[in-house]
Amino acid sequence: MNFRFVVNPEVCTGCRTCELACAFAHPHDSKPGKSRIYPIDGGFKELWVPVTCLQCDDAACVKSCLVDALKRNPVTGAIELNREMCVMCMACVAACPFGCALLDPGQDAVVKCDLCGGDPVCAHFCPTKALSYVPIKKKDRIAG
Amino acid sequence: MIKLTINGKLVQADEGDMLLTVIRREGIDVPSQCHHQAVEPSGACRLCMVEITRQEWDGWSKFVTSCLYPVEDGLIVTTHSAKVIQLRKTIIDLYLARHPNSTEIMRLASEYGITRTTYETVVDGDDCIMCGLCTRICAHMGFSAISTVGRGHDKEIAPPLKEAPTDCTGCLSCANNCPTNFIEFTRDSNSLTIWGRTFETLACSQCGKATITREFAEHLSKTRDIPIAYFEVCDDCHRKETAKTMGRVVNWTREVQA
Repeated sequence: MNFRFVVNPEVCTGCRTCELACAFAHPHDSKPGKSRIYPIDGGFKELWVPVTCLQCDDAACVKSCLVDALKRNPVTGAIELNREMCVMCMACVAACPFGCALLDPGQDAVVKCDLCGGDPVCAHFCPTKALSYVPIKKKDRIAG
Repeated sequence: MIKLTINGKLVQADEGDMLLTVIRREGIDVPSQCHHQAVEPSGACRLCMVEITRQEWDGWSKFVTSCLYPVEDGLIVTTHSAKVIQLRKTIIDLYLARHPNSTEIMRLASEYGITRTTYETVVDGDDCIMCGLCTRICAHMGFSAISTVGRGHDKEIAPPLKEAPTDCTGCLSCANNCPTNFIEFTRDSNSLTIWGRTFETLACSQCGKATITREFAEHLSKTRDIPIAYFEVCDDCHRKETAKTMGRVVNWTREVQA
């Protein structure tokens, strides 16, 4: 885990380019999939918050999964869903306190942010760099 | 590392891998109804049959259910030989006679070019193919609320004593994974009925959208140490709440900096 996904709502304009980028980066049957990131009105003037999976350390989705379909990728640090193992009990969708495990009705499957396997497409397309994928500085790194 | 041949192609696999897993990994389409990665294979549907042979078997071959057959060094696997296709067609033919109204069986039959069964059709047949995937998933999730009941023609999937199951939490994993969509459940604004038991579903405290059942949420919070309050808000409202909370923090820093 040498990189981290940084969200900076202060410069987010709510243009929803990330939503489009995410949907096109996760297609199914040649159709855009469900986006895993949503810029939502933060409740103040000119304030948008891109809400996406925070890849929590003690994640409620991982704890709630009774079949161990959700596992952390040791390389990217993202919690990834093994769709072959998912039994669609919706426990993770209900358990996530940030609402970032989602049901994609189009493909009848649970989806969540997987950091695009280590190269988040949304960060590439964000025009104001409110989303970025940056190396973790040595001094910021948590021991262990 | 084990080396075997699948349809003439040399393939590597790990010790303990099942043939079906390796075949699927190679992108070869072998049908199966009872297979799910989350649970142990059981070989109930017989559709994943493949032909295996070895160099030293002098042209002899045998048919095995690939989901239950561990990979071996030097194995020569054929997934779509004339014999295997004939065998698979017979199995589908039998399924079509037993479950004439199942759309999944019809789809499979049309894929293999079967338009009508050569056997006598069961008139009052249901869509349950007795693959046992629902019972295996239920047991794997730790509930074991349903199982196969009876023998022979009377065998069916049912809760104990065919009464409303006390161990069921209404997670719907059985119904969502049933290959023929046989397991029925009814749902209205605040309740859910499956296996003859009615569950209360939690409603989002903000928008009223129904989420999972109260029993399932209580089970998760008890066994997995998740606060029950997490389940009382739906995912859409959770995202809105997150945005509002983050928004307050960002607005506060703005005011401090201004």
